[in-house]
Amino acid sequence: MITLIRRELLDNLMTFRFAAAVFIMLLLVVATTVVLIKDYERQLASYDTAVKKHRQEMLEERTYSSANLTIDRPPNPLSIFNVGLDKRLGNSVSIEYLYVPTLWDAWKHGADNPFLNLFSSIDLVFIFQGILSLLALVFAYDTLAGERERGTLRLVLTHPVRHGQILFAKYISGMICLLIPLLMCILLVLIMLTTSASIFLSADDFLRIGGVVFTSFVYLSLFYLIGMLISAATRRTSTALMLAMFVWGFLVLVYPNMILTAVKTDPHPDTQTSAYNQIKQIWEEFDRDRLQYLANDPVPGEKWSFGLQGDGGTFWGYRHDSSILLRYDIAGFNYKALKAESEPLVPHVQNYHRFFGTQVTNTAERMWLIRKPALDALYTQPAKMEQMLLKFSPVGLYDAATEAWTGTDLNGLQDFFTAIQRYHQVVIDYYLDNKIFESRQWFVAAEGEIDWNLLPQFSFKRSDIGINAKRALPDLCLLLMINLVLFAIIFLIFVRSEV
Amino acid sequence: MILHITKRELYDNLNSLRFALTTILLLALMLTNAIGHLREHPKRIQKYNDAVVESLAVLNSHADDSLYKLAQQGPGKLYKKPSSLHFCAEGGERLLPNIVEGGNPHPYSSNIIGVWKLSYPNANIDLKRVGPDVTKVDWAFIIAYVLSLIALLFTFDSLSGERESGTLRLMLANSVPRHTILIGKFLGALISVSIPFMLAALMNLLMISTSSAVHLNIEAWGRLGIIFFIAFLYTCFFLALGLLVSARVQRSAVSLVILLLAWVTFVVFMPSTLASIASELSPSMSFDEKWTQYSQQRDEIWDKYNYVAWSKAVDRKTLTAKSAFFYENAEMSERLNREYLTSKIAQVQHARSITRASPATLLQHLLESFAGTGFERHLQFVDNVERYARQYREFVVDIDRSDPESFHIIGVREGMTKKKVLPEAVPKFEDTLSLGKDFNDSAIQMLLLTMFVIVLLSGAYLAFVRVEV
Repeated sequence: MITLIRRELLDNLMTFRFAAAVFIMLLLVVATTVVLIKDYERQLASYDTAVKKHRQEMLEERTYSSANLTIDRPPNPLSIFNVGLDKRLGNSVSIEYLYVPTLWDAWKHGADNPFLNLFSSIDLVFIFQGILSLLALVFAYDTLAGERERGTLRLVLTHPVRHGQILFAKYISGMICLLIPLLMCILLVLIMLTTSASIFLSADDFLRIGGVVFTSFVYLSLFYLIGMLISAATRRTSTALMLAMFVWGFLVLVYPNMILTAVKTDPHPDTQTSAYNQIKQIWEEFDRDRLQYLANDPVPGEKWSFGLQGDGGTFWGYRHDSSILLRYDIAGFNYKALKAESEPLVPHVQNYHRFFGTQVTNTAERMWLIRKPALDALYTQPAKMEQMLLKFSPVGLYDAATEAWTGTDLNGLQDFFTAIQRYHQVVIDYYLDNKIFESRQWFVAAEGEIDWNLLPQFSFKRSDIGINAKRALPDLCLLLMINLVLFAIIFLIFVRSEV
Repeated sequence: MILHITKRELYDNLNSLRFALTTILLLALMLTNAIGHLREHPKRIQKYNDAVVESLAVLNSHADDSLYKLAQQGPGKLYKKPSSLHFCAEGGERLLPNIVEGGNPHPYSSNIIGVWKLSYPNANIDLKRVGPDVTKVDWAFIIAYVLSLIALLFTFDSLSGERESGTLRLMLANSVPRHTILIGKFLGALISVSIPFMLAALMNLLMISTSSAVHLNIEAWGRLGIIFFIAFLYTCFFLALGLLVSARVQRSAVSLVILLLAWVTFVVFMPSTLASIASELSPSMSFDEKWTQYSQQRDEIWDKYNYVAWSKAVDRKTLTAKSAFFYENAEMSERLNREYLTSKIAQVQHARSITRASPATLLQHLLESFAGTGFERHLQFVDNVERYARQYREFVVDIDRSDPESFHIIGVREGMTKKKVLPEAVPKFEDTLSLGKDFNDSAIQMLLLTMFVIVLLSGAYLAFVRVEV
């Protein structure tokens, strides 16, 4: 057994194709990593500026109603491995009392030239996915067919070795050959990552990278087995090679792009309008209640401004975006100082805002109950469907599994926005508990400035490695299962075939 | 003799597995492409037509009102006409804006409103879609990625394989010159790759042209002819590369590995990596920069004309000052918009020109410019809009000049003619494409591609002549 492995290994390692493959692999990986690290540094820099800017903007505000609370999403250092959705989706979201923030309310800071998105970007997983799978097939296509052609297979089988042993030896040695370039690449990348001043990797991150490497290994093995299967099923190496190349072209290059062009996964067209109308109704109800309150209160007229006058001004918060199912138009004021004749009106305004605060937060909550499922149906479900379609190719499985490990998949990003939603709730509770809606500082700046530092702080920790593993597991298991099935088929074909 | 070798190659290939697989693969891809186009294109056209009709209605209502309204509100939303050859190259159309707005006069107060200006929207990144990112299967994809790979698969063993099997020596013993063999092999491979491609492409065109939803005019067919030519040139590049490596290398397996790695480098790796390196070298103007410049210049203009802005006087001097105020402001804002856009375009152009070192990008760009999609096309659209904007402004001035009672002060109601304007007389925006211009613009790229092919072919010849059999 060991002799067999050693023979195979030497056969493979001493070839020119191996040397060429390793050389080009390393070259591409190093060049890509340099570019990706640069890109990450730029993202980090723009994140830092955005955080500073948003903090500054928050501290400048003098009233609570104009509070300007913006949370930024830091870039994920592991996006170097698989960028996933990390770079593409919004990375700034503002916390307001009018709606529960989601991924779809976020916008993008630090995208100075969006036209640059015309160029495709690649990551390390993309390189592994394309080149390593190609190498696996190139190494595997002649393992059995080649020996059969040369007649050495018959020679080997005259010795008392079992068919299974030969297969296993070939598999092991081939995988060792493929692991060498993979591990060399990973090591180089790790060296570059750890020496870069801007990237800090925790122990968990190293484990996640380990997960990516393991998944890459399983993916490679899958393609190696496909190559062996072709090799076992064909008589001639040239046929095996052609088949292998076309299988690669189809699985890696053609299928993922073709299937999503062919199949349309648009959500039901009515989902958006019906949800939007429901939300509109809720706000109209809110408006009616508000007007009724204004009509019934002791100050005559239905004006929300109560004739309040001062320096500074009124604002009109208006956002109407039917594609993210959002609708609100709220008017308010943020005066720097109040005129003396308006002072008697202040208690009325405060009363109004007490009512308004509870009402508006309730309405936002009710809107959320409609928005959540509707946004899911509009965006998440088509995305999941597309991802599922891609998983019919091993490339899709590999991509999904590595995304799950690095935390750049939809779930990983949703973790961040779930934290944002929790924080939003905490802030609203803080407002309600501290009676901020009914405070004078809601609409007029007081002598002492608002101490924004008293607000609860936002903090976000990436999910545990355990959760990453759990998310990657189904795809990983599928990859492993395909491996086993392929191996079993190869074994059957090889045992039953005549030499 | 060449004919003989070509024929032999062709017969060899037609019976081979790779020919069958190529045909199936290309047919499937082209079918997908046609289905996708027939589903999407009518919607695109419908959307464009609706938008244009709506925009024209607004323009006509302004014309009905008065010339002043036209001078104030501008031509409105101007849309990019979708290309009927969209299936050839998608060209990032999802990202590029399809509109330039000539309107949005600055409202200083509810009754003092400035004049219109052009504003160029940014590229629209879709922050909402959370699905996976894939390339659309268009002709550019099929040719750049799939056809090039197939060309390599048809040539990687054409010389090394014969050398391995010993038939090359046999052939050379018959006193056939080496270049004859090379040309014969090249032509044989070219024809055998072209047959499935032509078959698939013609099926695709048949599906698209017989459908009532898509109209291809004479010019479109001319463009398609050029696209075919470019595709052949590109295929020749990879065939020549295959022959070159195959001539140098002793064993077919090694030849294939080298070719595949070269393919990955040229087609997949170079376009994206070079682009990100190049875009870092030339930074563009940031929005904050633009905003500071804008607010500074706005304040300057405001200080200069503050005295007239609120004046109710209708004497010639005040009106002229008011008009100057409006126009300076609009012009400044339009100029900054344009500068902002120009700096972004320059960055992209820079990156694009560097990525042209890869033949795959070269092909992509050529196909885009002949299909009338993509970035160059967007720039052409912007040019068209600007030409139209000048024409529109001249029209307003001309009409006003024809009325002797008017003060000829454009941009203020009291300074302009009260006469009715015929809505039909107002110039309408027409987004046109000219084949001649596209051809001129891309001639250099085409020459570059031709040069690549010639260099590789002569390289293959030299390699083959000098190598021992």
